[in-house]
Amino acid sequence: MGGKPQAYPRLRRRPDNIATILCQFFADFGKAMAKGDLFVKLTLIWWGAGCLRRKQYAKALILTLLEAGVIWFTCGFAMAYVPKFATLGTVQAQQVFNMQTMQSEWNDYDNSFMILLFSLFSFVVWAAALVLCMKSVIGAYRLQFDSQNGLHINSFREDLQEYLDQKFHITLLSLPVLGIVIFTLIPILLLILVAFTNYDQQHMPPTNLFRWVGLTNFATLFGGGITSTFGYAFWRILGWTLVWSFFATLTNYFGGILMSLLINSKLTRGGKLWRTLLVVTIAVPQFVSLLLMRNFFANTGIMNTLCERIGLTAALRSAGLISTSYIPFLSAPGWAHVMIILINIWVGVPYQMLIATGVLMNLPSDQLESARMDGANPFQIFRAITMPYMLQVTGPALVTDFVKNFNNFNVIYLLTQGVYVTTNQLMANSQAKEVDLLVTWLFTLTQDYYNYKMASVIGIMVFVVCAVFTLIGFNFMLRGDKEGTYQ
Amino acid sequence: MSTKKLDAIARKSRARRSTKIVLHNGLIALLCFIWLIPIIWLVCTSFSAYPGKNTSTFFPKEWSAVHYAKLLTPDTVNQFPTWFLNTFRIACWTCLVSTAFVLMVAYAMSVMRFRGRKSLMNFAVLLNLFPGMLAMIAVYFTLKTFGLTNSHIGLVMVYSASSGLGYLIAKGFFDTVPRSLCEAARLDGCNEAGIFLNIVLPTAKPIIVYTVISSFLTPWMDFVYAKMILNAGISANYTVAVGLYKMLEKSLINTYFTQFCCGGVLVSIPISILFFIMQKFYVQGVTNGAVKG
Repeated sequence: MGGKPQAYPRLRRRPDNIATILCQFFADFGKAMAKGDLFVKLTLIWWGAGCLRRKQYAKALILTLLEAGVIWFTCGFAMAYVPKFATLGTVQAQQVFNMQTMQSEWNDYDNSFMILLFSLFSFVVWAAALVLCMKSVIGAYRLQFDSQNGLHINSFREDLQEYLDQKFHITLLSLPVLGIVIFTLIPILLLILVAFTNYDQQHMPPTNLFRWVGLTNFATLFGGGITSTFGYAFWRILGWTLVWSFFATLTNYFGGILMSLLINSKLTRGGKLWRTLLVVTIAVPQFVSLLLMRNFFANTGIMNTLCERIGLTAALRSAGLISTSYIPFLSAPGWAHVMIILINIWVGVPYQMLIATGVLMNLPSDQLESARMDGANPFQIFRAITMPYMLQVTGPALVTDFVKNFNNFNVIYLLTQGVYVTTNQLMANSQAKEVDLLVTWLFTLTQDYYNYKMASVIGIMVFVVCAVFTLIGFNFMLRGDKEGTYQ
Repeated sequence: MSTKKLDAIARKSRARRSTKIVLHNGLIALLCFIWLIPIIWLVCTSFSAYPGKNTSTFFPKEWSAVHYAKLLTPDTVNQFPTWFLNTFRIACWTCLVSTAFVLMVAYAMSVMRFRGRKSLMNFAVLLNLFPGMLAMIAVYFTLKTFGLTNSHIGLVMVYSASSGLGYLIAKGFFDTVPRSLCEAARLDGCNEAGIFLNIVLPTAKPIIVYTVISSFLTPWMDFVYAKMILNAGISANYTVAVGLYKMLEKSLINTYFTQFCCGGVLVSIPISILFFIMQKFYVQGVTNGAVKG
């Protein structure tokens, strides 16, 4: 900056939370509207006005074109959908016989889903346009201030230069954020809205309309009517999902640490070879390895043949543990639950072993030495030094792993889809299985039964549970924020 | 004490140590063996002469490589070479877009200081808590509206558009780039873009390799999204995952199970090679970044 006077008074300490940022934004806008000249005020209607007044022609042209784009979007596109947002459409699709063409044709019907999707899209565009408009008003006032005080006004080239320097983060973030908005944010908002409609198989656009139903779907899930079994299935599946995430996370975590200690021990010969062998199992894609496992443990699969041959099946049958002529590894409750967790150990431990190896390499060796001098046995060392260190470094990852397992689609779906058939009528009524996780249930509901309303409600519940666990988890764990350490 | 006695003690402890080593390595060997059983079964079955599922013995009764030949000659169900090429093409594009997005977001979040940075990061954490499956259902309809389902462009978009959310590992790496390096460059009149391209990126080779390989592997490893987007399309558009999954449908499994195994082996080979290259960076990247939250 040199000796140049500050171009425009800005806050020195930059607050970084959303409320303060918004407050300041609105305060800036209010100030601009109050103190600005005619052109600043005109900017509210014609975005390019302020720039034009200060001879920033290129910027004025761009802003004007953007505004024209928004207006064109509003009139040509948004207006066809947004007015119907309140009802989600009223004209049912019908085939009408057209006397002129002598053919039956579809009438000009409403498509509830399109109305919902495009209205939402329009709201997002309008919100962005509003921010852009207010920003150009603030910018226009800034220009007025600068020119009144005889300060330098940026040329277009200098403006562009800024986007490679002070404002480089905008250049960097715009495309990725656009991707996230279109492919994650809008879809999530859309499905949150669907949770308040009756969008299901009986109300499938384009042939049928769906409409707003308020909190009915939530009532179905929690209260349940006489006929509804969703409440029953939900609590059951939530319970199993929690049990599964708990065991899957814990077994993999400790399994990985133990495996890594075992392989990196001084007694090991050919450590690299062993690690390589284990990593081979990760490199085989899950859809291959898990589909293979599924056939390996199938009712008529090879594992059953082997168990039969060594007499295990007969032994279990005489012990009353099974009533079938095979061991239902993946097709009966209880058996399937345990098998899934065991197979997941096979899937996950090599990953955790890699991570644990990386973390344990940095384990302070002086502590280990002194512990060994004092005569601590390996178990004591593990409990007092290795584990606390691991927990401190990978604690937050444990929380994210829990959430990941909560939403672990692949293992459950690939192992049980088409193999496991529930015999529990109440579960079957809700299209659920005992081994389903909330996400696989949600997937089945949408893919096979088109029950989008309930799937959305379940999705929201998944989010709530994950959010609660993340908050609790991060509050318990010491959060090692190393962001500024090296800088 | 006589030397004889000392010798005896030394021999005894040496013997105890060597039995310990044998036991220790034996345990590891056993574990590795257990872990490798499915892989061994995959490879063995792929060399079976029998086309369907072998349920009576672990090893095939007759050995033959005929199903590899069959797999590589397309028929009505199996179009493995096409699937492989499809997946490769999708992987290349995904890799290109994802790597760019991840590095861009990571740099902005790690090195730059701007208003709303922390808020954006918190928002990303929040978005990650929603099940991806839920967003996918809506994305599917959106893509369908624009006629992008059953197309590779749609799938590439699904894989890469939101990849910016997975910036944490790369950010963890950028956090360790010394700030003084950037300051020096700035004093020399380098602008932020110059620092990114000329100073930070060249020092970030490990994390670039990691990001490139991991985003390249996404389409090879993924199954659900590919199935959702491509399920209704024609077989020539499938990726390896969808194609191989279809081979195991009830009506096909008895003619195609061995070919499925062959396909599994053929896909796993390039993935394994890439994975071994990535392994080193995986450990580095993950321990540097993500685990520290």
